[in-house]
Amino acid sequence: MTGRRTVSGGPAIDRALPISFTFDGEEVAAFVGDTIASAILANGIEAPFRSPVLGRPRGVFSAGVEEPNAFVEISEPWFEPIVAATMVDVVEGMVVGSRPGVGRLRGDAPRGRRVEHRNAHVELLVVGSGHDGFYPARDAAARGERVMLVEQHRTIERGAGGDFRAEGVTYLTRATALGLYDDGYVTVFEHADELDRLWHIRADRVILATGAFERSIAFADNDRPGVMLSYASSRYLEHGVLVGSRTVVFTARGGAYATASNLVANGGEVPAIADVSGTESDLGDAKDAEVLRGWVASGTEGDRWLEAVHLEGPGGARRTIECDSLLVSGGWDPNLALWRAIGGGLRFDDEVHAFVPTDGPPWLSVVGSAAGEVPNDAPYWFVPSEDYSRHFVDFQRDQTIADIADTVDAGLRSVEHVKRATYIGTAIDQGRTSGVITAEVVNALLGESPGWQGPSNARPPAVPVPFATLAGPFRGDLFDPVRTTPMHPWHIERGAAFENVGQWKRPWFFPRDGEPMERAVERECLAVRTAVGSMDASTLGKIEVVGADAPAFLDRMYTNRMSNLAVGSIRYGLMLGLDGMVLDDGVAMRLADDRYLVTTTTGGAATVLDRFEEWLQTEWPDLRVYCTSVTEQWAVVAINGPRAREVVSATGTDVDLSREAFPFMTFHDGNVAGVPARLARVSFSGELAYELHVPAWHGLEIWEAVMAAGTPFGIEPYGTEAMHVLRAEKGYVIVGQDTDGSVTPHDLGMDWIVNLSKGDFVGRRSLRRSDVVRPDRKQLIGLFPEDTHALLPEGAQLVLEDTGRMPMPLAGHVTSSYRSPALGRTFALAMLAGGHELHGRTVYAPLPEGTVTCTVTSPVPYDPDGARRDG
Amino acid sequence: MTARSPLAERSSDLELVDARELAFVAQIDVRVGPATAASLGFPTVPNSATTTGDRDALWLAPDEWLVVGPGAAGAIVDELARSLDGLHHSIVDVSANRVALELGGPSRHDLLASACPIDLHPRSWGGGRCAQSMFGAAQVLLHERDGMTRLFVRPSFADYVVDLLLAAARP
Repeated sequence: MTGRRTVSGGPAIDRALPISFTFDGEEVAAFVGDTIASAILANGIEAPFRSPVLGRPRGVFSAGVEEPNAFVEISEPWFEPIVAATMVDVVEGMVVGSRPGVGRLRGDAPRGRRVEHRNAHVELLVVGSGHDGFYPARDAAARGERVMLVEQHRTIERGAGGDFRAEGVTYLTRATALGLYDDGYVTVFEHADELDRLWHIRADRVILATGAFERSIAFADNDRPGVMLSYASSRYLEHGVLVGSRTVVFTARGGAYATASNLVANGGEVPAIADVSGTESDLGDAKDAEVLRGWVASGTEGDRWLEAVHLEGPGGARRTIECDSLLVSGGWDPNLALWRAIGGGLRFDDEVHAFVPTDGPPWLSVVGSAAGEVPNDAPYWFVPSEDYSRHFVDFQRDQTIADIADTVDAGLRSVEHVKRATYIGTAIDQGRTSGVITAEVVNALLGESPGWQGPSNARPPAVPVPFATLAGPFRGDLFDPVRTTPMHPWHIERGAAFENVGQWKRPWFFPRDGEPMERAVERECLAVRTAVGSMDASTLGKIEVVGADAPAFLDRMYTNRMSNLAVGSIRYGLMLGLDGMVLDDGVAMRLADDRYLVTTTTGGAATVLDRFEEWLQTEWPDLRVYCTSVTEQWAVVAINGPRAREVVSATGTDVDLSREAFPFMTFHDGNVAGVPARLARVSFSGELAYELHVPAWHGLEIWEAVMAAGTPFGIEPYGTEAMHVLRAEKGYVIVGQDTDGSVTPHDLGMDWIVNLSKGDFVGRRSLRRSDVVRPDRKQLIGLFPEDTHALLPEGAQLVLEDTGRMPMPLAGHVTSSYRSPALGRTFALAMLAGGHELHGRTVYAPLPEGTVTCTVTSPVPYDPDGARRDG
Repeated sequence: MTARSPLAERSSDLELVDARELAFVAQIDVRVGPATAASLGFPTVPNSATTTGDRDALWLAPDEWLVVGPGAAGAIVDELARSLDGLHHSIVDVSANRVALELGGPSRHDLLASACPIDLHPRSWGGGRCAQSMFGAAQVLLHERDGMTRLFVRPSFADYVVDLLLAAARP
């Protein structure tokens, strides 16, 4: 025999509502209100589970979150790879399979449950709805506080059975606190009927009324199906399930007698109670049970289910009793997983023979049995034996006392080390039924007294939680924001290929009629060099720097002087870190005596603004300067190429575009195509170029206007790849591509931008460090491969001598490499040790497919005199 | 030529969550000392907003406010500049730097609580409150006004925010 349904009763189920589900391919009858575990027990399914490592038959061991055996995969009506059968209510048509220890995701993207995330703020959060949790929650709500109560079961217990709810309390049932974090931040996983919900709760105070877990006892073959924690039998009676017809109780506490009485009252038989508690208890309805004082369970028999238990008494007496259920109770251990995960302390209490909480954060308190109010009668964790090889401690890891002894023999003393050597406590249940036993076994093996060291630490999440629940809505297209510019619809329409630049989607190139990337980039580059091209540069970071001290401030932030910039003019600037390394670059436009607009790299916008604010707020609060981000205020069209002036003119503007009235590195405010605009002559291609800034909501129309006006001049939209080629041909570096945080202005050959005659600026002092002035630092150079078609991979290492033997001394690396339509060949930029002095020299890039021989050149291979910028 | 508001194409999506875009509303970032700000009627209590006529002033930082329409941004800039003439200050037109959304409906705070970590319960949130926070991975400025919640979002994040609102409304 195994478990069966009681004739009547069971407040947790509704006998008027029979349902059925499938377990390992067999149809199983249940009632609404059954858990998967209670239904498996009610149907007397033998050996429903297998242990993960040894493949031993296993049964349901508990009725809660500590379950170490009964793990299932749910495939209908939703998919969940692994979950404790004790924690899931059966629904009609559910399809369930046993899963020994390891869940598996499926490749065919099965249907997950609906998921939502919620944030909530409360004055009081209580975890656990038993007596000790219910009343503080009720009282706080009565005082008008916002209170949430988290309960892992469907009903609110209050300690009296039945479902009680107090007004003003928000109840989360079928919910588990996954983790506690600093200052009362708690994550809760709610397994609601209709969906899974992940709560982010911020609580002023948290009360843990998490109760206690019944302590198992390790003895030979204590893992056989039919062996179960004592309390669970009472739980299952609430589901109308008698866990066995004939039950033996093995207990170290008197309280288990009530369990026996409960079974008899519901039609079960209890022939014997083996009791090592040393206390007298009332048998109640179990008056026929033979009480065997000082007797222990020394073994079990049975194939697929428990058939008998071997008992051992004082003086070596032995008996074997036939039974189909063995209830075990070693006592109770406070459930302190959440307490310990936030750093709460433990101490061993000799009165209650258990680890109890001590020293926690001020906003957190522990009450009731979790706080140590546990009715333990004896310190009893395992049955002494000659052979410990089948005294199972961690069922999920199939680890025994013998396994622990091996690690202690090997010299391990700390439970944290034993845990890592045996994996005890590392399975899904985090060792809830094995942690304390393991600690006490180690203590005993070391000859130390009980409580000498406590169980290993627990970590969030407290129960398995699907990744899909943690992800919530932040998956697929919402995994990370996709930032787009106002011109994005045009780029899509034109079939652009996009590149991710941080969160931005930027057009990479605009292929025509399925042309390959190489061809498209070549066409776009040639358009800029021979006619005109337009690029969406809206993602550039933009900051307005305003105030009487703005000129002095920018002099301190950039390596060159910005204070003598004339209103209406533009200057390129480099920004260094305190270490003297290049941090960002951009241009400054002087809008007024006390107002600049500075641009940053696309990726550097937030960093630079934070840095401005940090210096202003912490070092120079005396400077009268305010900084405001305007990155998204302005959409920017870059128009580059010898015909750029004609295109801007054709677009229609009241700005005088003549070379004399509008020289390089100046700007004018005016109207373009009827839109208020700022026109700036800056160039990142070396060609005649205009940047057109308009308020963002005019971005799309101005882009369309430029494209329409440019058509007669052969305008082509170009993307970031062509932009990279064009700037590299001119030796313009990209911060973050040609630099990596270890590159100085001198390394880049940009001494011209470092003004040592002005006052101090950030990074200046570091430029005198001995390491920074070494002549053999890696320095920026250009590279021409001997084979004009050979394209060096970016990141390729360079050597001065190709010895053909590894290792070779490395002299540098390639930072940018392209095919240049303008040069009619491939070329690269690279950082090469002492490179400034090596122009003309041959270097080698040894690659798996063969060595590429290159000539070192100046890093400005195209139009080195800058003749093209004025058109 | 016509300007195009960032969420012009999303109005039917916004209706699903009881929201609409306040297209082209004037927004001016003002940086000035708190005493001067108080004299202009700006709020000095952190995370609060005042409304004078139809114009709002939202507290962003001890020395930073966002002034929100109606009317032309240029006129508001000129008016503020006259008031602050001779004082250390910064006035920047940021009207296009953020999209303004207005959420109505009784469950709007629940909807926001799906991805916004701040406390939107009436106990700590209500008319005249504003706050800078996150909605999912997007920075947002929230302003409770006239029984509605305004959300100010960078335009590049606007589609993300609308998509996340829709996802939260039907998980």
